[in-house]
Amino acid sequence: MERRSFVKLLGASGVAAASMPMLAGKASAADKVTIALIPGLTADGFYVTMHKGAEAAAKAVGAKLIYQGAAEWNVSLQVPVLEAVIAKAPKAILIAPTDKQQLIQPLKKANDAGISVICVDTFIGNGVFQTGAGDADFPIAYVASDNVLGGRMAARALAKAIGEKGKVYVSNVKPGVSTTDQREEGFKDEMKNYSGISVLETQFNDDDANKAAAQFQAVLGRTPDLAGVFGANLFSAGGTANGAKQAGVTGKVKLAGFDAPESIVPQLKDGTFELTIAQHPAEIGYFGFMSAYAHVTGNPVPTAIGTGFTVMTGANIDDPNVSKYLYKSS
Amino acid sequence: MAAPETLTPAIHARGKVVGRSLLMRIAELRAWLFLILLLIFFETWARVAYDASFVLNTYNLQSISVFATAPLLLALGQTFVIISAGIDLSLGFVMGLASVIAAHAANFAAVQLGLPAPIAMLAGLAAGVAVTIIPGLVNGGLIAHLKVPPFIGTLGMYGVARGAAYLFAGGMTISVSNDWYSAIGNNRVLGIPVLVILTVIACVVMHYMLSQTRFGQHTYAMGASQAAARRAGINTKKLTMKIYFLSAIMAGVGGVLYTGRFSAGAAQAGEPLLLDSIAAVVIGGASLFGGSGTIWGTVAGSLVIAVIQYGLVFIDVEPFWQFVAVGTVIIISVLVDQTQRRFMGGRTVE
Repeated sequence: MERRSFVKLLGASGVAAASMPMLAGKASAADKVTIALIPGLTADGFYVTMHKGAEAAAKAVGAKLIYQGAAEWNVSLQVPVLEAVIAKAPKAILIAPTDKQQLIQPLKKANDAGISVICVDTFIGNGVFQTGAGDADFPIAYVASDNVLGGRMAARALAKAIGEKGKVYVSNVKPGVSTTDQREEGFKDEMKNYSGISVLETQFNDDDANKAAAQFQAVLGRTPDLAGVFGANLFSAGGTANGAKQAGVTGKVKLAGFDAPESIVPQLKDGTFELTIAQHPAEIGYFGFMSAYAHVTGNPVPTAIGTGFTVMTGANIDDPNVSKYLYKSS
Repeated sequence: MAAPETLTPAIHARGKVVGRSLLMRIAELRAWLFLILLLIFFETWARVAYDASFVLNTYNLQSISVFATAPLLLALGQTFVIISAGIDLSLGFVMGLASVIAAHAANFAAVQLGLPAPIAMLAGLAAGVAVTIIPGLVNGGLIAHLKVPPFIGTLGMYGVARGAAYLFAGGMTISVSNDWYSAIGNNRVLGIPVLVILTVIACVVMHYMLSQTRFGQHTYAMGASQAAARRAGINTKKLTMKIYFLSAIMAGVGGVLYTGRFSAGAAQAGEPLLLDSIAAVVIGGASLFGGSGTIWGTVAGSLVIAVIQYGLVFIDVEPFWQFVAVGTVIIISVLVDQTQRRFMGGRTVE
């Protein structure tokens, strides 16, 4: 229901946008609603694609988008960027907070300055907003993929690919990252429904593809009947795939990846990956921006918007309805 | 120009050099001994727990050797830098920059210019290594001519190379579909991975340069005492330039091979490898105060790290112990090194 009323709202703003050009001649740039987007880090295809979604939304309603972020995932780098953005006094800030707790006070400052805050991808506090409880409920909305669900979808698809039996493990970045932790949690939990599948110890690779490859080879060395691996992010999946290639078991041990840069296409087709779970970052950017715009122009907004996933396989990747979810840099 | 024969006794006084080289020989042997102990440990565990051999297992040996090549390629250049009493923190992202440029160049040659795959591969390899000339010369220039401390100068370059790599990559990984290029990173010749063969060749060349050429001997001399080296007629500025140039080029080689192996150029390719490369050099018996270290020691150091990380996964130890284990090995190595130096009259930390 929430989503439907939101779509209606989008339609309304679309009409507003259509009538904008007539006014455009008179309205100066200063009159435009300005909304900022601060990603978790700038050098990442996921956020690059989210930026494009937000840009599309900004264009559709004739608002202005400021995009500023730090080069790496780090609280002490993100906060100065946030403060600089607050100084520019946008109407709203969309942010992917790099820490659940440490970003609460800096974002509160923005809120106190009359800037509406919307969390995208990651959240502060417990991610449940506008409840009147706690000190982190002030953001207007949380727009993101449900990573636990993403992990579950990977588990279901991988279970099917390996005939619902055998040994699998999760190749993950490092513990303590909310999104990848949730994917692992969802994956392991869903796998409990398959009595024939056992999940081995998770291997952490520190985002080092070389290490992920060696870990795959070591696990395979002791577990020759390894059936599948879930790579919880890009480098975990890519490194694991190379380990399988080096060991000569590409296609034999089924690999499920997470995220969908364009480089995944040939790897899905040649069997390097059985499947990958694509998030919809452009959707997060688009709906995040639209929520912010709706809110600052006096319209009600749902407090939580979950964007979807697409399971990509070698068989469906040529379908434009699937391939449109690939993360694009340009 | 001073010929090597005319160098002052400070450099060539046999007594001192013999003392130092004996110390280095022991330090290098220590790393190999350590490696053997580790292999015995994992072998025993694998026999008891899995009834399988860890060492007499071609698959394991192939996996470990490929694993070790990436940090080792960075560590080879780093060995020269550390022997000269410097440090190169930019190597990780210089490697990433080379990886991204190699991917773009190989794609450009194949797609835009329509060149056949082997030529496109060579274009990628050449462009990726060539681009590292810039950070190499800038690092060298900052340190040799502008007197910037190596730690700061290369830290600055770490940022510049990183930004440049991400800019060229547009924040994404650049995929390359070139069977020739991929073969370099993944194929085997007579059961030996091509990556390993190339890395062994690099090791032999680097060993020769360090131990048999004037360039290598001067590097040791400058690391032991820059003032003495300068008085002995060594052009330390030129030498410093050469050392940082060499280390950037080796990172470039690491980067272009990464692109072949993973069929993609990634800006962050070398980021996690930098500290491993420094650890490998130190475990291999080099002193961070300069003047000592060998290529074969560094090779042993890289293998020690690779064997620990691979072995702990192989015997199914809780993942977090890997960090503890590698850290412990580094501390032990440095402790043993310090003790040995004290006994043999070398330099120690005060």
